[in-house]
Amino acid sequence: MTPPLYIALRFLTHRKRALLLSLSGVVFGVAIFICTQAQTQGLSRYFIESNIGSNGALVVRSRFRPRYEPLMVAAKNSKANTGRRLYFEGITNPNEIMRVSRQFPDVISCSPVLRGTVSARAGFENATVDLYGIDPALHAQTTDLLHQLIDGRFDDFRNNTSAIIIGSRLAELLQTSVGDTVQLLAPNGEYWRFSVAAIARAGIGSIDSTRIYSHAKVAQALLQQPSGATMIIYKLRDRNRAPVLASRFETLFQHNALSWQEREESTLQLFLTLRMSVAITVSLIILLAGFGIFNVLTMSVLAKIKEIAILRSMGYRRRDISAIFLWQGALIAAAGSVLGCALGALMTWGVSHIPIRLRGLLYTNYFLVTWDWRHYAFATLLALLAVFIASYVPARRAAELPPVVTIRGSR
Amino acid sequence: MSAQVSLSCDRLERYLGEEEERVHALRGVSLEIETGSVHAVVGPSGCGKSSLLYILGLLDTPDAGSVAIETEAVSHLSDDELAQKRNKFIGFIFQFHFLMEDFTAEENVMIPMRKLGQLSDAQMRDRAAELLDGVGLGDKLRRPSRHLSGGEQQRVAIARALANDPHVILADEPTGNLDTANSERAFELLQNLVHERGKALLLATHNPAIAEACDWVHEMKDGSIIDSQLRNTRS
Repeated sequence: MTPPLYIALRFLTHRKRALLLSLSGVVFGVAIFICTQAQTQGLSRYFIESNIGSNGALVVRSRFRPRYEPLMVAAKNSKANTGRRLYFEGITNPNEIMRVSRQFPDVISCSPVLRGTVSARAGFENATVDLYGIDPALHAQTTDLLHQLIDGRFDDFRNNTSAIIIGSRLAELLQTSVGDTVQLLAPNGEYWRFSVAAIARAGIGSIDSTRIYSHAKVAQALLQQPSGATMIIYKLRDRNRAPVLASRFETLFQHNALSWQEREESTLQLFLTLRMSVAITVSLIILLAGFGIFNVLTMSVLAKIKEIAILRSMGYRRRDISAIFLWQGALIAAAGSVLGCALGALMTWGVSHIPIRLRGLLYTNYFLVTWDWRHYAFATLLALLAVFIASYVPARRAAELPPVVTIRGSR
Repeated sequence: MSAQVSLSCDRLERYLGEEEERVHALRGVSLEIETGSVHAVVGPSGCGKSSLLYILGLLDTPDAGSVAIETEAVSHLSDDELAQKRNKFIGFIFQFHFLMEDFTAEENVMIPMRKLGQLSDAQMRDRAAELLDGVGLGDKLRRPSRHLSGGEQQRVAIARALANDPHVILADEPTGNLDTANSERAFELLQNLVHERGKALLLATHNPAIAEACDWVHEMKDGSIIDSQLRNTRS
């Protein structure tokens, strides 16, 4: 142990109240930072997982209309205007697009979906629903539909073309359960009768309150759609590569391709803003803890002015004196970070067991948290930085103190 | 053949304070302190005794003149190098003891040794025990310094000053805060150390009895040494 570290330890442990004050600031700052990040990211991650689990990481939709603007002669004084891109609705040749896209190493699986809006009726209840005509096997591979079932059996849906899977909140709205009958209104005014094979909960309000899954062929007939698919959804190995892949698919297939990041941009921005806002607030707590340490160490320098002079007279260099106070800061930061991380983990665990009944944007019965080592690393880094800045000035001041002035003053 | 010089200064000048409060604290002071001798600097308060001690102890720098440890001039050395010299060659004793309050008597004595870094922890403890035993505090090694009496604290300070076996001991009124019995005991201790272990001691004092017992007495007035007298000679 170096002499400055040895002396720093003694100085620290002999001023227990000041040590406790400094330490508690860092501990609570780090713990609150970890806990709030776990919560805000927990919400955001749950939303992303659920969303990708239901809608895929990437979606290929309508085909581009060819551009003729380059062929047109612009009128005099008119500015060139490329205008908005136009589409033909639906996928042209979905099987070929899926065959080609499966060659991409990033693609795990893909599933065609025929989508349309219809009216649903069960008993005396009516609702406008989002009908997803799917290939059960492909869709189960590409999405988390199997894991989302809270009632009924997927096989009952797969083996019966007149069966549907219904969103959990829609089922509540229509007051239906597994085995009940739901009627869907076709565009020609006819009601088609389906039996509820299973109820699915994606965890996202907008999906659970509107979505019904049926077999693709049945949906095509009901919706009277000529094309076999209005979109293809993809499961990717690395979801973060979705924007890159979307861009390549657009060029390759001449269809509009949308990554999950682009599709959920507004919601993700909301979560990001929330996280940033909380992070800034909590960082202020850590900075306040740093300010507390600054005060404590400044007071310590004043209290130890005699000791500093005597250490200098015994041959301790300016940098040794400075190191004594920097070590004190470092010890507080290290102990505070370790204890703060432990408390943060405990608080996160505690928060994740607080029952809440969230039935809006997301469906959850408990606070959602995420366990991410980066929260701990970032909180520790922030604490170390704040404490270093807080210790630097008092340490420098201590090193600059001329010992003779103190010794003369003590006479 | 003259004795070896442990510490010397030549024509030291030192000004203290600023503008109207500026004081000419040292006016061309020259001094040589030989190994194995005890020097006393006497004079009224403000005559420059402490200023001389701090400059000789490399805690302060003169405005003019030079200081040498043995034959090596130290005036040109950096702050870090001066600190190293202080640690190795000089032991300080102050009037108000200046012990580290949070440390025990033993730990106080070990602080200069830790900085020098030549001994293991066990060796440092042994040496601290030996030094404290030498000043009559062998039974109070683990006692926090703030729980020691004034006389005991000063004896710990003496033991600490000797921790790194320095060539020179500088004492600024080392008995100024002690009663007569403790004063005599502390001075005897220092005197014996100097004579038995071949150290050099320079002390500033107001106590005529202590000054009389020194080998040399230098009288200062208004920043100058006005008289130097040899009182005791040793063969």
